[in-house]
Amino acid sequence: MAALLTAFPTATQAQMEFSLDEVDEEDSKPAEESESQGDLFEELAAGDGAEDGPAEPAPQREEIAEEIYAVQQIYALRLKRLELAPSVAFTLNDPYLKRYGLGLAMNYWFTNVLALGFNFIWYDWGTNPLERGTDLVARVTNQFRLGVPNNDWQMGAWVNFSYVPFYGKFKVRKKIFQWDSYLIGGVGLMRTQPIPAGFDDANRSFDWQTNVAFNVGAGLRIFLTRYLTFFTEFRAYMWPDQFESNTVAPGDGQFDPSTWIESDSTFVANTSIQLGFTLFLPVKFEYRLPK
Amino acid sequence: MMMLAKQSLSRTSLVAALALCLSLGNGLRDGASSASAQDVHVSGPLAGAPAVKKLRLWRDMRVHVEPFFAFTIGDEYSRSLIVGGEARFHFLDWLGIGGWGGYSVAKLDTNLTNEIQAKAPDEEPNVLDLPENENFPAQIGRLNWWSGVELHFVPFRGKLAMFQKVFFDADLDFFVGAAFVGVEERADAIGQPPGAQVEFCSIEGNPMDDGCLESQTARSKRTAIAPSFGVAFNAFFHDFLGISLRWRGIPFKYNTGGTDNNRDNLIDSNDRIRQFNNMFTVGLIFVLPPKTKTTD
Repeated sequence: MAALLTAFPTATQAQMEFSLDEVDEEDSKPAEESESQGDLFEELAAGDGAEDGPAEPAPQREEIAEEIYAVQQIYALRLKRLELAPSVAFTLNDPYLKRYGLGLAMNYWFTNVLALGFNFIWYDWGTNPLERGTDLVARVTNQFRLGVPNNDWQMGAWVNFSYVPFYGKFKVRKKIFQWDSYLIGGVGLMRTQPIPAGFDDANRSFDWQTNVAFNVGAGLRIFLTRYLTFFTEFRAYMWPDQFESNTVAPGDGQFDPSTWIESDSTFVANTSIQLGFTLFLPVKFEYRLPK
Repeated sequence: MMMLAKQSLSRTSLVAALALCLSLGNGLRDGASSASAQDVHVSGPLAGAPAVKKLRLWRDMRVHVEPFFAFTIGDEYSRSLIVGGEARFHFLDWLGIGGWGGYSVAKLDTNLTNEIQAKAPDEEPNVLDLPENENFPAQIGRLNWWSGVELHFVPFRGKLAMFQKVFFDADLDFFVGAAFVGVEERADAIGQPPGAQVEFCSIEGNPMDDGCLESQTARSKRTAIAPSFGVAFNAFFHDFLGISLRWRGIPFKYNTGGTDNNRDNLIDSNDRIRQFNNMFTVGLIFVLPPKTKTTD
């Protein structure tokens, strides 16, 4: 080895520097049609290209350099970190009522890709829900003489698992942004209350009711620093809900609260977009693996 | 009371926004000296080297042909399931122009349509808006075909790892343009007698349509021209093959329910309501020519 170093000092030095010339020397073809199929698997499987190697007996440096792939460390590790995520939530699929929520999520990452967490969204801002109604409610009421049973939401809380199957990076000018995409799902509760829809408003009043709720979703997190990210996620919150009955019971039955609500549950799916920031704690971490 | 509630909501929103800004500001300030996102500071032999070598040019002077399936979302009375295709030519790897078109192969009525059909009263007060509840699906507006031309801008691209095993190139395609949509609506009708409770309708070919029953199913067709815009996530698995997940918004006015929305006893163009029509599309991208060029 020492003899080799002595015999080919410039070659050894070049190998350690990974100079541009070295790369250009091997791949001096300008932008032209690649012979490969363009996917990474094929390039990795292409071997060491021995048949293209130089005929001279001394090109050891090229052979070694060709087998080295520089892989960047994952920009931000999630392992054993706590994630705090305040967010705002916008419901996408309710044609009758505009709904906004403020949320907070906490996740603990017990592997780098798997977390157990909790999220909470508050929807009840003390406003009259009818003021948040879309014009569709008025049109349905005026033109079709139909009341639209609908429920107001107070809050929801869920326990979730998160899994990160995708991660990557993208370039904006000279900045490289790391991002990951995650799947999330869990179970919890949703508190809702029927909004009197004009069927028998003088006699009916409703309390908040608690429903078992589920959710699934997917999100995208863009790392601004190693501990601060911007995230957006699509969530579908689902629960069986009970709406106001559109029939009024005859006689004294109309004063019986059990007749005010439909006996059957209706499956509700609240699809929403959430936007927010996440803070990873502790803000610093150490890589376990050597570079 | 309502004013107080509104103020309360505004205050709460303001506080939340402030908290988010402070959180972001703090993070950016702390990170600014070291790295906001990931600054690429390279010294040594790689200083001055391009950010990416052997960059695969998925778009530069290539054509993308994309058959797709789409469905509209957020519709009031009827959803459209669309099958179509799109072709794009890119002058540069980040800029291109394209056209698309599709046909609504199926139209699914929403639950609201079914409820109106089953429960809405269709006696005299409703004669113009709902002549017969069972025929309500026949009076609602439908979107039959779609097409458009768009400019495509691809500022972000990168690579993606899936399950830490599979790697592929991905990019975000923002686009804006004009769309042409085949709209089918309830035909114009005049509720009679004027200024009073409608008893019959006057429509083309039948000035005495009793109970507006014929008017309910009479249709007119037109082409709506509207802006279109959206974003697509594209992932490429092979030199000539990729998938596309696309969201497209096309806002324009049409009479969704076939009703007299401005209460003037007429069914006409003044009853059209602005709708934020939007659709989600899944497409398969074929890239031509099939071989991918790479940069130095």
